[in-house]
Amino acid sequence: MNILIIGASGGLANILTGLLHQSHPHAHITGVDSRPLKNDIHNPNFTFRKMRYTRSQFEKLFREKRFDYVYHLGRMSHVGGSNQQDIIKRLNLNLIGTNKILELSLQFGVKKIIVLSTHHVYGALSDNPVYLKEDAPLRASIKYPELRDVTEMDSLCTNWMWRFKDKISTVIFRPCNIIGPQINNSISQYLRSDYSPLPIDFNPMFQFVHELDMATILKRAIDDIDTGVYNVAPEQTVSLAKAKELVGSSHIDFPISLVSPLAFVLKKFWSFPDYLLDYIKHSCIIDGNALRRQIPDHHYRYTIDESLKLINL
Amino acid sequence: MIKLTNEDKLNIEKVAQTLKKHYGDHEDPWGLTIDKAQRSLELIYPFYKYYFQTRVFGVENVADKQYMVVSNHSGQIAIDGLLIGTAFAMEVDHPRILRAMVERFFTNLPFINKWASECGAVLGDRENCQNLLERGESLLVFPEGVRGVAKSTPDYYNVQEFTRGFYRMALKSNIEIIPVAVIGAEETFPYVYQAKWLAKKLGLPALPISANYLPLPSPVDIYIGKPVRVADDLSTLDTDHDIDPYIDEIEVTIQSMIDEGLKNRREMPLVNLIKGRKS
Repeated sequence: MNILIIGASGGLANILTGLLHQSHPHAHITGVDSRPLKNDIHNPNFTFRKMRYTRSQFEKLFREKRFDYVYHLGRMSHVGGSNQQDIIKRLNLNLIGTNKILELSLQFGVKKIIVLSTHHVYGALSDNPVYLKEDAPLRASIKYPELRDVTEMDSLCTNWMWRFKDKISTVIFRPCNIIGPQINNSISQYLRSDYSPLPIDFNPMFQFVHELDMATILKRAIDDIDTGVYNVAPEQTVSLAKAKELVGSSHIDFPISLVSPLAFVLKKFWSFPDYLLDYIKHSCIIDGNALRRQIPDHHYRYTIDESLKLINL
Repeated sequence: MIKLTNEDKLNIEKVAQTLKKHYGDHEDPWGLTIDKAQRSLELIYPFYKYYFQTRVFGVENVADKQYMVVSNHSGQIAIDGLLIGTAFAMEVDHPRILRAMVERFFTNLPFINKWASECGAVLGDRENCQNLLERGESLLVFPEGVRGVAKSTPDYYNVQEFTRGFYRMALKSNIEIIPVAVIGAEETFPYVYQAKWLAKKLGLPALPISANYLPLPSPVDIYIGKPVRVADDLSTLDTDHDIDPYIDEIEVTIQSMIDEGLKNRREMPLVNLIKGRKS
């Protein structure tokens, strides 16, 4: 069995590689990333290639390896920058790159492709119902066009999934906030920071999934999860204030409704993208029941409280 | 500042302990936290009891089960919602947090939204409500919407046309409806002109031009009616034409409860004082 993991240098991919080696000891795993591998993986059945997945050598890899399963965990995140150039780079990589991965998977007979999207696609809006199901409209880019790449990448994969459902199996995950010692996404940085503003004028509720639980679900997608789109979230929720308390970091009480107008000043001191501010203002609570029905024997190993307490390990 | 007596404090504590058994210590997914709701109740209750001198009739109609509470809407700033919520927490035999459905406009208001969600209010979205009903929660619905709460003085105590969503939700969940009539909340702002044209231009749900902008201490009476079962022969797929007679029936019931309640309406303390001096 040949498995490709795109975005292999991330923390989640690292855990997934370990789990796949345990469950499928004879499988050969190829990791690809434009960044260098963070942690060395000492396993003869693992190969890492540093390359961009928009380049022609990527096609060569598909031709030579004939992968059975492809994990697309390589969505470029919003950490790092929000200027025009960053946005264009993200749009290019996330859309053109994803399209290339899907086309190559179909062309070279991949059995199943597993895509990691995000719950951000639903958008954090004041009129979100509590429990957004998978068929809810993707409204993330209504207010902030900067989030277009997030929704368009998801839509691209979903349309593609239905179009070719007879030829290739596709599983798309929209997880709630993934946290853990190896994850360094925007929300993890926010939770760990002692200087992040905590809204005193809104009461957003959150869901968190531990990195090991998320990696376990990704692993099980190969054998146990049918073609479809699945939210990933435990049933438990927590307010942002309580989450900060459980992490043990300090915060600055601040009316978040004033942060947006002041964002141009604050962003000089704080790396949190201003268009993600609504995610710490309004709730975006998703319904994880469709996935629970697929893998009824799966139980989240970490409660939200435990996940938050372990974030700084 | 109106203060709580020791007896009031004990009663609120007792209610909070009962509610904690049901909701636990954690926030629920909509943001309700019993500790915070208790603190709010300690602030609201003195106004409920001493400022608005609230009386509740028909508590015997509320059993230990899930309901959809449907009420007339009045008082410009939804004071009626606070008072009905307090009544169902403090006065009925089986205390509960009524999950009040609020307008979309409301969920974007800083501070107010936070406070309301911590006390149990939720967005008045059908899917949201359905999810609450599935969890066994009781809802507080004002089917008149903004038209009910934001009335000009000549329309006081005239129930405005009900929207249909609440009945379809009740049908889907097969839940009983409790009609409620609130008397006295209209007089908290006795002279109001609704500048609807200006509100529309400013993108506001309502713009009341009032003689006072703080609620006057009008005594409030809450009448809890007998539970109404949803029609057995209807389904959520039936047309508006089929459902409307049942909605009209509830609307008429609440209007007649209001008309009856108005006969026993108490005057404001200030009016009583003036009347007393004249006599």
